[in-house]
Amino acid sequence: MSSASTATAASNRTSIVTPGRRLGLTQEYTAGAGTYVRGGTIYASVLGTQSIDQGDDSKPLLQVLRSDTKFSIPTIGSEVLARVVRINPRAASVAIQMVGSTPCQEDFQGIVRVQDIRATEKDLVQMINSFHPGDIIRAEVISLGDQRSYYLATVKNEHGVVFAQSIDGNAMVPVSWEEMQDSKTGAIEKRKCAKPF
Amino acid sequence: MSRQELLSPEGLRVDGRRPNELRRISCRASVLSSADGSSYYEQGNTKVLVAVYGPREPRMRNPSLSTELAQINVEFNVAPFSTSERRRRSKGDKRLLEVAAFVRQTFEGAVQRSVYQRSQIDIYIHLLQNDGGTLEACVNAATLALVDAGISMVDYVCACTAGFVEETPVLDLCGVEEAAVETPDLTVAVMPRNGSIALLQMESRLHVSKLNDVMDLAIEGCKHIHRKLDHAVLAAANDLAEKLSH
Repeated sequence: MSSASTATAASNRTSIVTPGRRLGLTQEYTAGAGTYVRGGTIYASVLGTQSIDQGDDSKPLLQVLRSDTKFSIPTIGSEVLARVVRINPRAASVAIQMVGSTPCQEDFQGIVRVQDIRATEKDLVQMINSFHPGDIIRAEVISLGDQRSYYLATVKNEHGVVFAQSIDGNAMVPVSWEEMQDSKTGAIEKRKCAKPF
Repeated sequence: MSRQELLSPEGLRVDGRRPNELRRISCRASVLSSADGSSYYEQGNTKVLVAVYGPREPRMRNPSLSTELAQINVEFNVAPFSTSERRRRSKGDKRLLEVAAFVRQTFEGAVQRSVYQRSQIDIYIHLLQNDGGTLEACVNAATLALVDAGISMVDYVCACTAGFVEETPVLDLCGVEEAAVETPDLTVAVMPRNGSIALLQMESRLHVSKLNDVMDLAIEGCKHIHRKLDHAVLAAANDLAEKLSH
C-alpha cells in the first residue's frame, strides 16, 4: 500500500477517488479535507480528485478536492456575509448568505448581539447606530448558538457593514469607522463600518 | 394452481437465474438538477429514484436531538403504480416508515455526521417499480446519491438480499421468490472496503446453521454491487472531468 501511494505522490497526476478508498499512511502524510483517518491509514470520504500538497510542514498534506463545492456550513471562526433582517435594542437578526467565498443555497439564521458589535465601550453601543435592516455585514461566527441561530460578532476592524443604503435609498460610502455618507445627498448616517481592504 | 416451484430440478430459478446470480443492475448518478445529489437505480425490475438535499439548515427543530451531529431525514415513497395491483399508500404506512427507518439507521453509521454540525441531510426515496429487494435497492441508490452530493462518508454502503430455497442459498430474491411464504429473506448492508456490517435484517425464520452460508452469499453480492456502484460513480466523474477540460 505504502509503495503504491508513494508512486502516486511521485507522479502527482490527478486521480479521481471514491469514498472509502485507501490513500496513504499517517506516517507519510497529513490528512486534509475530504479524508478521514482510521488505524493509521488515511481514507477518502468524498468523491473528488486526490491532491498532495508539499507544504512547509515535514509531511505533505493529502486531501480530496471537489470542483463543485455546492454547500458550506458556518463553523466557529468562519467569516460570513449576511443581510440584516430586523433589529431590536438587544440584537440584530441576520440571514447568512455566504460562508467564506461560497454562497449558501439557503440562508442560515444568525444573531449579532449588541455586546458583540465592537470590542471597546461595549456598554455604550446602540443597535440603531450600528446596523439597519437591509444592510450587508461581514461578520465572524463566534458560536453555534442556540437551537435557532448562529451567534456572530463584528468586533474586528474588517468586520461590520460593507454595504448600506441611506433613508433615500442611495448607496452609501464609509467616511469613518462609525459613519457612512450618502453618495448623492451627502447625508451622514451612523453604522459600524467594516474597514475596507 | 399448484404451488410454484422456486428452484427447478436443473437448479434454475423462476426468472432463469442460477442461485448465486444477481439481477441486472444499471444505475446512474446526477439525474435531477434541482437536488444536491441524486441517483436512479435499477435492479432487475425494481426501480428506485433518490434525491438528496443538504446538508442544510434543519427544518424540524427537535430540541432533544444533539446539534453536534447532522440529522439524517429519510422519506420513502411508493408510487401507486409500482406494483401490478394499483394501490395508494398513505404517508403514515408502517411498512414505509420502517423502510425509511432502516435506511436512516444505516446511513447514520456511514455518513460522517460530525463534519456537518447543526444541519440536516434529507434523503427522499421514490420506489417507481417494485419487484422484490426494496430495501437493498433503496440503500444502494441512496449511497450513490450521497456520493453524488459530495457528502463525507466512511465508505460506500452496499446492500444485498439472500434467501434459502430448497436447501440452497439463493442471491438477490425477486418479487415472486420474496412473496413465497416459506422463503427466508435476509437483507445485509456492508461497507465493502472495511468489511463492517451496516444493516442486517430478516423477518422470517432461518435455522442458525444455515445463517452463515446465506450471509456469506449476501456479502459476496454486496461486493459485486460495490464494483457496479464504483463504476457508475467513476464514469459520471470522468465524464464531468472530460466536459470541464474542453
